[in-house]
Formats: sequence, structure tokens, C-alpha cells
Amino acid sequence: MTEYKMFEGCTIGNRIPFIEAASRKVFDKLGVETSQAPFSCCPDPTGVKSFDNDAWLVIGARNLCLAESEGKDIVSLCNGCANTLRGVQHQLKHDSLKKDKINSELGKIGKEFKGSIEVKHFVDVLKNDVGMDKIKGAITKQLNGLKVACHPGCHYMRPAEWMESDDPMRPTNLKELVAASGATVVDYEELALCCGSAVTNAYEEYGMANLKKKMDSIKEAGAEVIVVNCPACFQQFDTRQRDLTKQFGTEYGIPVLYLTELYALAMGFNPDDLGLKFHRTRLSGVLEKLGI
Amino acid sequence: MELDFEFRKQVMDFHIGPDVIKYCYQCSRCSDNCPVTAVTTDFYTTTGYNPRSNILAALLGYKDLLLGGDDLGIWGCTVCDTCDEVCPQNIELTEIFTFLKNQSIALGKGPEFIYSQAKAVFENAKAIPSQPAIERRREQLGLPAIVAPDVNEVQTLLKNIGADKKLK
Repeated sequence: MTEYKMFEGCTIGNRIPFIEAASRKVFDKLGVETSQAPFSCCPDPTGVKSFDNDAWLVIGARNLCLAESEGKDIVSLCNGCANTLRGVQHQLKHDSLKKDKINSELGKIGKEFKGSIEVKHFVDVLKNDVGMDKIKGAITKQLNGLKVACHPGCHYMRPAEWMESDDPMRPTNLKELVAASGATVVDYEELALCCGSAVTNAYEEYGMANLKKKMDSIKEAGAEVIVVNCPACFQQFDTRQRDLTKQFGTEYGIPVLYLTELYALAMGFNPDDLGLKFHRTRLSGVLEKLGI
Repeated sequence: MELDFEFRKQVMDFHIGPDVIKYCYQCSRCSDNCPVTAVTTDFYTTTGYNPRSNILAALLGYKDLLLGGDDLGIWGCTVCDTCDEVCPQNIELTEIFTFLKNQSIALGKGPEFIYSQAKAVFENAKAIPSQPAIERRREQLGLPAIVAPDVNEVQTLLKNIGADKKLK
């Protein structure tokens, strides 16, 4: 299989690296080869893009140039980074005025955006490049009976125009990948609802009201764990559940796992080597149930 | 309330596709599906965050109405891109909202976290800078050290497009 440039992103790389640890273990097991590059911040499609779209384009394009210079595609561990790098590529490929402007800036640091590589979210690499058969073959510990609510997150599949990954309002890829572990995927009404990470940063009150809708729906479905594929969503669920209980009195206590953490457990890796103790929500109940 | 024709032109130019924004017929699918509208508005949606009225005001050129009011009117958007998907006219609403946010920043308005993130990226080329405690944790987890980005290059790019002047 081809080697990808690993784009772990700021949040995973510099805040919650245990997600990268699980992802690298799973990649190794499945034969997904990666190498590093001096990437900067992607930058954030909810932050820097809102600050200045040209700043977002020029920094994003510089990152794409780094991968282009090696002729390698990028695998992103994060919805936000995948959304930015694909979005920058989309804008520059469809707007020649923007492309000329950004390339004249890049020229001053000796770079040029060509649009010659692809940016892939790791969920798509697993589903399309590795394939379900190979994944199923690598699972040694079936997670039978574990009830999972899936949350693919907005930027994995929206806007569909440039993410081209899944149905933007009725996503199924994450569900299929979770089901491959033997776990039971539970449906819930608010599957496509945003975790509210961005609005929570600006208006906590409204972000929490949104998160309550999401969490109530997940709780009602009887989920024992939430599986995600985005670090921003991960943090929103993992760190703010307790605040939600304080604010509204409802007990949730539903732990959160990254897809690659779920896979690492199903592939027989030791939970201690995955850094699961760094999660805020407690996973002891889930591990006990699975006999791990 | 005054119309700002230059603002109107900028809105039209920002939309990457054809000028489909002109064909918005105010059907309210965006506001009906907006998660922030759901938790901020009253029954008649006269208060709170409303993507539908933002599109109307933007396409008419009501710059002051959009940028002069409460920040929630623009910054309530959580960038979930749901409106883009449900719009029957294929309007890329979130791109228009990006333009409105960029304009708000140019006036020195907008939430603190946007400025602090932009500053972190300018100073470190990362939204979340590397810290010794996390570097140790990476090592314990058997991870390679992050390859440091070229901060000078990123700063040069940001200075040359003038983004550094918008920082607080």
C-alpha cells in the first residue's frame, strides 16, 4: 500500500496524543504506512477561516505543498484538518483568481500549489483503501454486546461538495466500521447533529443546550459508549459531559472512544498501552463488560 | 438603514459557485435545520441566530444591519455546514457566513477565542503549541516527536497578506 503523510493535527498531536498512539497501532496492524512532515496548523476551519479566509487558504496551501513536494497523499486523523485541507484544495482548484493570489504569496517562500495530491480522512482510508475484509480479519476480540452510538461529526461529511465521503445527513461509514468490531450500533435520532464545539467556544450557554439535545438522544438509545472520529467532538463529549450533569442534573456517564481506540481494543492491544486513563469519562465499566 | 453596494458585490464574489445566492427564496430550510437557531430563537424567530435573515441581509447589502448589531447574529454559527446541505438552491451559506465573520474581524469585533487561536497560529504555526508535559507523554506512549513547522515561513505568509494587523 502507498505511504501517506501523517497529518495528526494540533489537537491530537499536542493535546490528546493517546489518540495518535491508538491510530498508529491500528495502522501498523492493517499495513497503512505513514511518514511525518513539518506541517503547521491546518488551520482550523471554524477558527482561522472565520478570522481571515485568505490566511486560511495560504497556510493550508503551504501544508499541501509540503506533501506535494514528496508526491504523497495525506491521511488526516481529524475532521477539521481533513475539512480544511480538502476545502483549501477545492477553493484553489475552482477559483483561478484565488489560486493566482495564493500562488504569488507562496512564490515568495519558494513554493507553488499544484493540486497534485489527495487528502483523505482516516475513516475513508480504512473503509476504502484497507477495506472491510482486511479489518475484520485483524479483529481478534469481538466486542459482542457492546452498544455503541456513532458520531461521525459535521466536517467528516459536510459540505458533501468537497468532502465526498458519506451521505451528509444520513452517514453510514462509521456505523459500518464500528459494526466490523462485533459491537452493536444503536440508532439515535440526533445522529447528524453537530457536537457544538465551535459555538460552545463563543457562547457556552447555547453550546451546552445543543450538547444536551445530542446527549439526551444518545442516552435514550441505550448507548454504553460513543464512538467518534474527530478530536474536537471527542473533547466536547469527553470533557463537557460532567458540566452538563452539573448544569441540568441529568446523569450521563457515557464514555467516549476514538474509532481507532475501539479497534485497538478489538485487535487485542493492552488498554494501558493506549493511554485510556487520560480520558475524562471512565471506561472501566466498558472494559469490565468486555472482559478486557 | 442603508444599502452598501460594494458589500453586496463582495458577497456575490465570495460565493465560489455561480451567483445562486440571488435565487434564495427565503424558504427557511436553513433556519429550520440550524442547531443554533433551535436553541437561541423564540417561536417567531425574531431573536437569536438566524441564517435565513443573514442571507437576505447579505444579498441586499445591509452591511450595517449585519455587522453593527449583537455579535450573536454572525458568530452564533457553529460551522456545521448543515444549511449548505439542506438548501434547495445549493447556496453555500457557510461560505457567505465566513465572509461575514471575516468582515466582523476587520472591524475588531468577534469572540475572543478566534483572536487567541489566530495569535497562537501566528506565533507558533500551531493552534495548540507544543508543551513539555505532552512531549513527555508522547514519548511514554511510544510516539515520535512532532516535526516542528517552519514558524518563519508561516509568519511571512501571514504578514504579507496583512492578517497580522487584525490580531489583538
